[in-house]
Amino acid sequence: MTTEPAPLITLLGTTALLFEPAGETTLSTQQRIWALAREALAWPEIREAVPGMNNLMLAFACPPRSLAPLETRLHAAWQAAAPLPLDGRVIDLPVVYGGERGPHLADVVSHTGLGVDEIVERHAGALYPVYAIGSHPGYCYLGGMDARIATPRRQVPVLSIPGGSVSIGGAQTGVSASAGPSGWNTIGATTARFFDVAQHPPTLLHPGDSIRFRIEKVIR
Amino acid sequence: MIEILSESALATVQDLGRLGALSWGVGVSGAMDPLALEAGNLLLGNAPDAAAIEVQIFPFQVRFDAACAFAVTGGGGPVRLGERELPPWWCGMAAAGEVLRLGVPKRGTTHGSRAYLCLAGGVDVPPVLNSRSTQLRGAFGGHEGRGLRRGDRLAAGTLGWGARPLWFGIVPPSLTLPCERDGLPAVRVLPAAEYDSFTPASQQAFWAEPWTITPQSDRYGYRLSGPVLEAIAFRELRSHGIVPGVIQVPRGGQPIVQMRDAQPSGGYPKIGTVIDADLWRLGQAPIGSRFRFIEASWDEALAAADETRRWLASIERLVGLHTLGTGGR
Amino acid sequence: MPIAGIDQISAWLAATDITELELTGPDACLRLTQGQGGVVAATQPPAPPPPAAPEMMAVVASNVGLFLDRHPLHDVPLAIPGARVAAGQVLGLLRIGDLLLPVAAPAAGEVLAVLVPHGTVVGFGTELIRLRPLPE
Repeated sequence: MTTEPAPLITLLGTTALLFEPAGETTLSTQQRIWALAREALAWPEIREAVPGMNNLMLAFACPPRSLAPLETRLHAAWQAAAPLPLDGRVIDLPVVYGGERGPHLADVVSHTGLGVDEIVERHAGALYPVYAIGSHPGYCYLGGMDARIATPRRQVPVLSIPGGSVSIGGAQTGVSASAGPSGWNTIGATTARFFDVAQHPPTLLHPGDSIRFRIEKVIR
Repeated sequence: MIEILSESALATVQDLGRLGALSWGVGVSGAMDPLALEAGNLLLGNAPDAAAIEVQIFPFQVRFDAACAFAVTGGGGPVRLGERELPPWWCGMAAAGEVLRLGVPKRGTTHGSRAYLCLAGGVDVPPVLNSRSTQLRGAFGGHEGRGLRRGDRLAAGTLGWGARPLWFGIVPPSLTLPCERDGLPAVRVLPAAEYDSFTPASQQAFWAEPWTITPQSDRYGYRLSGPVLEAIAFRELRSHGIVPGVIQVPRGGQPIVQMRDAQPSGGYPKIGTVIDADLWRLGQAPIGSRFRFIEASWDEALAAADETRRWLASIERLVGLHTLGTGGR
Repeated sequence: MPIAGIDQISAWLAATDITELELTGPDACLRLTQGQGGVVAATQPPAPPPPAAPEMMAVVASNVGLFLDRHPLHDVPLAIPGARVAAGQVLGLLRIGDLLLPVAAPAAGEVLAVLVPHGTVVGFGTELIRLRPLPE
């Protein structure tokens, strides 16, 4: 049995700290992150607990004078954290792959060496658990993407991609909920509302839900 | 009630930011210069986080449909109420029908790039998710979730004349809270998680060289030009939460400082984070201007935050004493 | 100097509640006073003409503080001798801590002189600026 390096705790200025366990990105680790978030939210120094992909940002209510006690408490809480199995619904999203709304499908082809059809099948073939919400209102970070279609983020981020864009960034995939800048490779588009400020909570999807992409069309 | 006379999409209603919604992917937004917004509110006796109009493009004109106390703080050019010129960082009373004009900054001045028009009682727009800041990406909050247009009408929280004396001002924080390095404005930075993944030469250059704010800079982020920052080995990072001030370095080696409308998460390597207490300095730095990064410790960063809070408290105290004799609020 | 109609005016006054009536003419001023003893008339020399408009207005400090002839952010003084200024125009500033109070023109005028150097501590009532009043 290999011992994993201890999680990394680093600062985001005086506004927040970042907690990053080592190891592969897994759903079980994410479930422990959900548990840790729930625990840390009760601490007086912490205003918000924001899960990322197998990591956790803790925004300070008031930055503590000394960080060491908080760091010790955080490490201990992680050791004790058991996976929190948040079970949810499966949402189907129809996707039009390629064409005008999938301008970077060719870049995924050239990086992976796979053909368009295989990339699309591998992308639509998986069930994607929602790991975290972030990036923009209602945007879901998804786990479970086939490693064969992983493609690095773009060297120069694109100034604006439309809402509903389905993209690959590194080993992750996601769907944008509104128009905005992105460093990911956009391979297709879906129509769906992921955020409604009049609802409580305002997000359509939550950690514990899953997404399945359905191939509506492939434009070569 | 005021009516916007200018066609200026880059003016938005902001307060001190929307906290508590990061887990829904909603970034904080809020004023690029929160010090100026808060000071303007203090001049008027408003709650410190009352909403105001952030103006980024000049000239910007509004007409007061009814008598209203107001303040203008932050940067920008000359301010005129009707025929009268207001000194910078000043409060006054507009009569019904008067036009307030925030003029174009004179060439060569470095008096800041964003102005804050505060109204008595704050700009009265409905709070959304506990804040009146404009969330542009999500198209909600502020005034209809968008920048202001000609013809838009905004109400002030408090109507009419009231008993407060107006027509006075404060010395701006650019003079009372200076931060410079080698003659250039500077901001303090705490190293971030990937600091050690940059070459020693790049680390040195990050602190030692001036950085220029390129025209591709706005409320989402400032793209800087300067020395190319090289990673020892470029890694793809897992998506993680970020905050305004985080300095990301994409593969091109030119840093991007995340600002108020930045995404609340990202995956590019981070070399450092501008401390919260210094974000207002960047918020006022004009496009094309140069500045320096100063390495700070945790204690120094907290001390800077304390200094800012003390300055605001002293302003509140002075304004309180000045308005005491005439019946206060 | 006799004033025509004075008896008639006195009789009219006696029929009213008015206790005092003053009539001003170009050469004289007539005051009629009605008391218990009846109406008494007295002539007075004409009222002196109002004083001529002052040749100089002084703008004084409203408080103790540091007199500034320009805003700390600016290079150009607010009041330059010879300049015409409007009523209420800010001609200088009084700095008290980080508070800035206006030193304003009480009326429209022309700046004659700024009497106190920039950065001088002044007391309440210190004369700061002299203006020559001008019609608005």
